[in-house]
Amino acid sequence: MNELNKSTGKKMSGQVMGYLLLFLLVAISWGIFKIITPNNFGSAKNMMSYFEASLLAAVGAVGFYFVMVMGMFDFSIGANIMLSAIVGCVFANRFGLSYFGLVVGAILTGALVGLLNGVFYVKLRIPSMIVTTGLALIYESLANYIAGGVEQTLPSNLRAFGQMPGNIILAAIAFAIAYLLLNYTRIGTYTYAIGSNEFVAKNMGINVNKYKVLAFIISGAFLGIMAVLTISYGSSMVAVTGMASMSRNFVPTMGCFFGLAFKKYGMPLPAIILGEFVINIIFFGFIALGAPTAIQDVITGFALLIIVTLTTKVAKGEIVK
Amino acid sequence: MNDVRLEVKNVSKNFGITRALKDVSFKINKGEIRALIGENGSGKSTLTNSLAGIYQKDNGTFILDGKEVHPTNQVEANNEGISIIVQELGTLDGLTVAENIFLGHEENFVRYGIKNTAAMNRKAGELLKEYGFDRIKPSNMIENYNFEDRKLVEIVKATYFKPKILVIDETTTALSREGRDELYKQMKKVRDEGNTVIFISHDLPEVLEMSDSITILRDGDYIDTVNSSEIDEDGLKKLMVGRDITGGYYRADYGEKISDEVVMKVKNVTVPGLIKDVSFELHKGEILGFGGLSESGMHEIGKACFGASFDREGSVTLADGTEINDIPTAISHSIAYTSKDRDNESLVMNQSIRDNICLPSLDDLANKAHLLSDKKLNEFAATYAKKMSTKMQGVEQFVSALSGGNKQKVVLARWIGKDSDILLLDSPTRGIDIGVKQDIYQLMDSMRKAGKSIIMISEELMELIGMCDRIIIMKDGMISGELSREKDLNENSLIAKMV
Repeated sequence: MNELNKSTGKKMSGQVMGYLLLFLLVAISWGIFKIITPNNFGSAKNMMSYFEASLLAAVGAVGFYFVMVMGMFDFSIGANIMLSAIVGCVFANRFGLSYFGLVVGAILTGALVGLLNGVFYVKLRIPSMIVTTGLALIYESLANYIAGGVEQTLPSNLRAFGQMPGNIILAAIAFAIAYLLLNYTRIGTYTYAIGSNEFVAKNMGINVNKYKVLAFIISGAFLGIMAVLTISYGSSMVAVTGMASMSRNFVPTMGCFFGLAFKKYGMPLPAIILGEFVINIIFFGFIALGAPTAIQDVITGFALLIIVTLTTKVAKGEIVK
Repeated sequence: MNDVRLEVKNVSKNFGITRALKDVSFKINKGEIRALIGENGSGKSTLTNSLAGIYQKDNGTFILDGKEVHPTNQVEANNEGISIIVQELGTLDGLTVAENIFLGHEENFVRYGIKNTAAMNRKAGELLKEYGFDRIKPSNMIENYNFEDRKLVEIVKATYFKPKILVIDETTTALSREGRDELYKQMKKVRDEGNTVIFISHDLPEVLEMSDSITILRDGDYIDTVNSSEIDEDGLKKLMVGRDITGGYYRADYGEKISDEVVMKVKNVTVPGLIKDVSFELHKGEILGFGGLSESGMHEIGKACFGASFDREGSVTLADGTEINDIPTAISHSIAYTSKDRDNESLVMNQSIRDNICLPSLDDLANKAHLLSDKKLNEFAATYAKKMSTKMQGVEQFVSALSGGNKQKVVLARWIGKDSDILLLDSPTRGIDIGVKQDIYQLMDSMRKAGKSIIMISEELMELIGMCDRIIIMKDGMISGELSREKDLNENSLIAKMV
């Protein structure tokens, strides 16, 4: 009986505790930079723009969460965003499909990339990290070929998703879909089941490979939405090669780590959104300080390690890999 | 009216070159509790796992109520009216209690692709209440509950849809008395409803008490089916092993003086929430038993002495004054430990038998240049695996492919190979068949005679009485009594100090 009361209590206080921790992180990261550089950082208007910027990666991260929670990884995130943005831009621009082409083109491309990732991973039976690294090179080359080696620019009349309220609306729709999938469909249940014990999940009649591929497709589609937001926000996209797209992996992946760390509080998606916000506060804080990029990266890296360490309570004896 | 519920007809199953089931045929009736017994590797779990869709049989048929069934997973088996409760944990972290109960059967709660969580929780709540487990809340995450409660959830999951056949695979050893009673209640309920229970257990008194009839398998062959009321333990042992198991099962000596030489001194050891202020001494050539209820704290004793407990207070000191505060120190001072939870704490599942046996002995097996020779490792592993009569294809076989009892043999082989002087054995015969049990008891006795000291932690009172020089009883994390080896010692003397 005590066990039960404890666990019920844990669940209730868990979410509150999770939110408290996250808002505390937001407050601390804001407070530190506000003290150091009070004039050009952290006003209400600034904070809103940091939040808007964080939505980009947050949308990709909530999709990527489906892959990570199953115990897989994806190194082609950046290549996917780049390819999806370029295809969306080409559809909107060259084919004259306007917003429809931009959104549908990018999301379908993202989902297709996810499908390829999933199918190759399942069929080749090699680790997802290796499969997606190899495929990332192909996606980069493909994006470069489609773009014809030229920077793809989104016309100013098609950039509604790069500013308020378009970006907020699109991101909110994406978050709502992710929430629905995770909590109110079989996909969510099976995602956690496979992540917990694949063998048992298989014995429960779950088509594990199918749901793994589906997780990659969902992740890809959300990265497609992220691509729409990214190109709308930045107005253009350059198709880089030689794995240079990997630099785009970092921020969505870090947001995803927040989600995994706060999963035990029963609030992975809010954790991803607020986690990305914290990352952006730190990022813009450094810009306000005028710190060199190398210093920014070092301090951001350490800050994130500290945050995840402090927020991830590992039980005694629990093995961390 | 045909009373036959299940006909097993010429079922065969191979794992590589190992023939796990050889043309097994027998029938089970409706309204019957049928025990399925046999030594480790006899094919019991392979048979029931094939029936429940976890494995796919190679040949033969399962005929359920006159119709052939061949499920390819547990959900298909459920749909045919077959369910199974497995030996190890069968619930999944990350899901709620309700999601675990209905995993694979969500169709009743999904409309247009959207899951009605409230309806699922409501239905799970009703079921839990019906079973008397309403302290378990359907919307809570399953990982918030302990092993015992999670097993209760599995019982609900396996029986709520009133299966025609319920398979219980060696589940009782993992449960406390209360959990066992609950399981027995459900088994009787299933039978009284005219359905069938297939019950796998190594505990022969339990088998005789709970079953109506007993089918015996040996080395993948069907041996016989007998009525439980017409056979006794010795008769069953003979059928299981193929020879008489008499005499020498436990130690026969009484009145031997324990050496005065203390090899390990445990003083005021406390592990928060588990054991409190425990002190005792282990003597050279002594088998010191620890008994008690499952949650009495006795299982922590082994870990505490091995330096594996967290936040341990107090001291564990060897005869030479060495303090044991961590595992490397314990191993380097010739201490061995086998955990009750062998799959998670004792074995590296996705490694070979060879690697598992050689693991703590690699320093001894390496040459002067610190290089390891395959030949030497293979010989070492083969010697000790053979000594423990491990049923295997070869030492290269993965441990994960072994039956429960054979996994335990690998764990023991590892420490026998290490030639440890102090052995901390937590539930060393859990899930092990009687033939090998006898071997283990004889091995312990010969080790004792060779001057090795053993701490034996066990929930089986008879083996404590049969094997130990002294028995310390634990209750609520503390020592509640100590008994010395004597002929008249019986289970009641121990139970009196346990409860």
